[in-house]
Amino acid sequence: MISRLEESPLFRIACPRHIVFFGASNNFNRMGSIMLSSIQSLGFEGPIYPVHPKEETVRGLKAYRSVMDLPEVPDLSIIVLPTELVCDALEECGQKGIKHAIVVSGGFRELGPEGEVRQERLASIAKKYEIKVLGPNCLGVANPHHKFNPTPIELEGRPGFVGLASQSGSFITQMFNYLHLHGMGFSTAFSVGNEAILDLVDCLEYLGACPKTKVITLYIEGIRRGKDFMRVARDIVGRKPIVALYVGGSDTGKKASLSHTGALSGPDEIYDAVFKQCGIIRARTLVELFDFALALGTLPPPKGNRVAIQTHSGGPGATAADACGRAGLQLPDLMPRTVERLRAYLPHTASTSNPVDLTFSKNNREYFSGIPDVLLSDDQVDMLLIYMLSPVVFIRRFLREGGIGESELERLEDTAVKELTRMMLDLPKKYRKPVVGYTFRSLQEKMTRDLLEGGIPIYPDAERAAKALAAHVRYHQIKSEFHTRHVE
Amino acid sequence: MTDPISLIQTARKEGRKSLSEYESKQFLAAFGIPVCKEVIVKSSDEAAHEAEKMGFPVVLKASGAKLTHKTEAGAVVINLKSKEEVKKEGERLLSIEGCEALSVQEMVPGARELVCGLTRDPHFGPAVMFGLGGIFTEILKDTVFRIAPLEERDAFEMMDEIRARKILDPFRGEEAADRNILAKTLVAVGEIGLKYEDVAEIDINPLKIRPDGKLVAVDALVILT
Repeated sequence: MISRLEESPLFRIACPRHIVFFGASNNFNRMGSIMLSSIQSLGFEGPIYPVHPKEETVRGLKAYRSVMDLPEVPDLSIIVLPTELVCDALEECGQKGIKHAIVVSGGFRELGPEGEVRQERLASIAKKYEIKVLGPNCLGVANPHHKFNPTPIELEGRPGFVGLASQSGSFITQMFNYLHLHGMGFSTAFSVGNEAILDLVDCLEYLGACPKTKVITLYIEGIRRGKDFMRVARDIVGRKPIVALYVGGSDTGKKASLSHTGALSGPDEIYDAVFKQCGIIRARTLVELFDFALALGTLPPPKGNRVAIQTHSGGPGATAADACGRAGLQLPDLMPRTVERLRAYLPHTASTSNPVDLTFSKNNREYFSGIPDVLLSDDQVDMLLIYMLSPVVFIRRFLREGGIGESELERLEDTAVKELTRMMLDLPKKYRKPVVGYTFRSLQEKMTRDLLEGGIPIYPDAERAAKALAAHVRYHQIKSEFHTRHVE
Repeated sequence: MTDPISLIQTARKEGRKSLSEYESKQFLAAFGIPVCKEVIVKSSDEAAHEAEKMGFPVVLKASGAKLTHKTEAGAVVINLKSKEEVKKEGERLLSIEGCEALSVQEMVPGARELVCGLTRDPHFGPAVMFGLGGIFTEILKDTVFRIAPLEERDAFEMMDEIRARKILDPFRGEEAADRNILAKTLVAVGEIGLKYEDVAEIDINPLKIRPDGKLVAVDALVILT
């Protein structure tokens, strides 16, 4: 197990200082050109050396006829060439002394026996020159913290805390926008492709050592180095949460068996066992994968599984209570002192049992600061789940009714929202308890967006919020069990 | 106690791909897994004699290398209460095609049946199964797995993960299942998988819970690689 990022074979793949690029041209209608443009648009800070047989410049960069002509030995080679040219290019990289490569090109093992032979040749070249290869048939890596994104899609949003190792390239590139809209971003994301040399286990190990990665997500279709995977995952889980989505368990493997046990052991059951034994949280969908990552990457550790729910209306409260129950979370009774203190804030129609239902919100400041503060101070409450009725809409209407002109409206609204946001962001810090919101409105509304970026997860549904909280609780149980075992 | 290796070698020599039920139970017993009393005899007279020694009621089964699906072949008779019954059924079983001997077994009381087994995953290695046993195992599919080696805590987690977990609690006048023996059994099955490359799969079904909560393997099958 590596202790420092620099020891990982992926270090100079994720954090290269200089790059040679095969397969980009001045024709933008080419995969290579699109990928090079992604690197340029994120502002990669090191030199990029395109290799091209004819062009003098490629996308404004000085082009080289051969990798042999480069003025230095780059850390990384990115190869996006037609399949039949890939092995020769890798061979030249080896002769130049390049030690890392991303092979984006397809046409290898995924194509059957003919591709298999080609992949074996690729692997033998890589071994001969000791080149660490990611791919072939992959999208490589995205490392926003290093301003490095050679994937075909431009990066959106800020660098984040979510590490991803994926056996599908799409789940890197297609998630840039999704993560941004949900208040997250990648720390580093790997697409492993055919795993000719480097595989998902290497990526997991890298992410375990990566200081920017607070939570690791995995998209798995099949792991070949099973025992290594388990060893590495177990080593990481005591320090950092791992969430995995496994897909691909078919029943075909079950039929050939002579025993009941064999007949009942599909890959899905085996992966379920592997995840449990390694302390990996299993997600059932891609949405869940990142819902869990959001909670695990932002929330302070919970002391238990007891949730207080705060709403201004019955329906959202009842559905949240139902979702929490199904997720295995408890709704504790509030302590008498808490109920007493709440009365000062609540109208006589309100319910002071849990869920706390205001029925009518007298005051935004109280809803987002005073009341949650009282709830979080209760020793029976480990976490707060709060319904985000839409403060921005209310503020705007109040201002308008108060005769504020449209020119002033925006500024006053901003000031009010900023203050509410600041007050609310203080709560989890003050009590060191998880606070999570849910809403049916857009996550891009002013205050919601600010809260997301400030580290309060807000989900588009109580069900999703409850499951994420349950995953968070589960991880911290696992973590303390792992630590107890190590002490033993 | 029989040496587990010699059981495998004998089966190999005879060109068999699995151990007989009797051998399978001997094999498992060598690892501390509780198995029911069983005696193999050649004639119905001997069967009647052994049954009396064991105490009635007994179970009588036809035994033979090719008889793997005994229930379907009508080769299992339960609840025989006298020497005469054993003798009569023994004659009938010996006439079944493929029957080479008779197995006399104690009739294990208890209403609850579990299953436990071993399979091999090409990438993760031997894996242990635990769940609800009996004839509906594959229909109800209430089973969970762990990759070997298992720690005892893994075994206890498995017991809590099946839907029918309450079957391990006190039930209709029968005592709670002995979870410690169950855990040791599951751990042992995993160890067999790690230690014996020759063992491809194991089924212990049913693994019965006696009314006093003790466990006993009533039927077992060890399949070789």
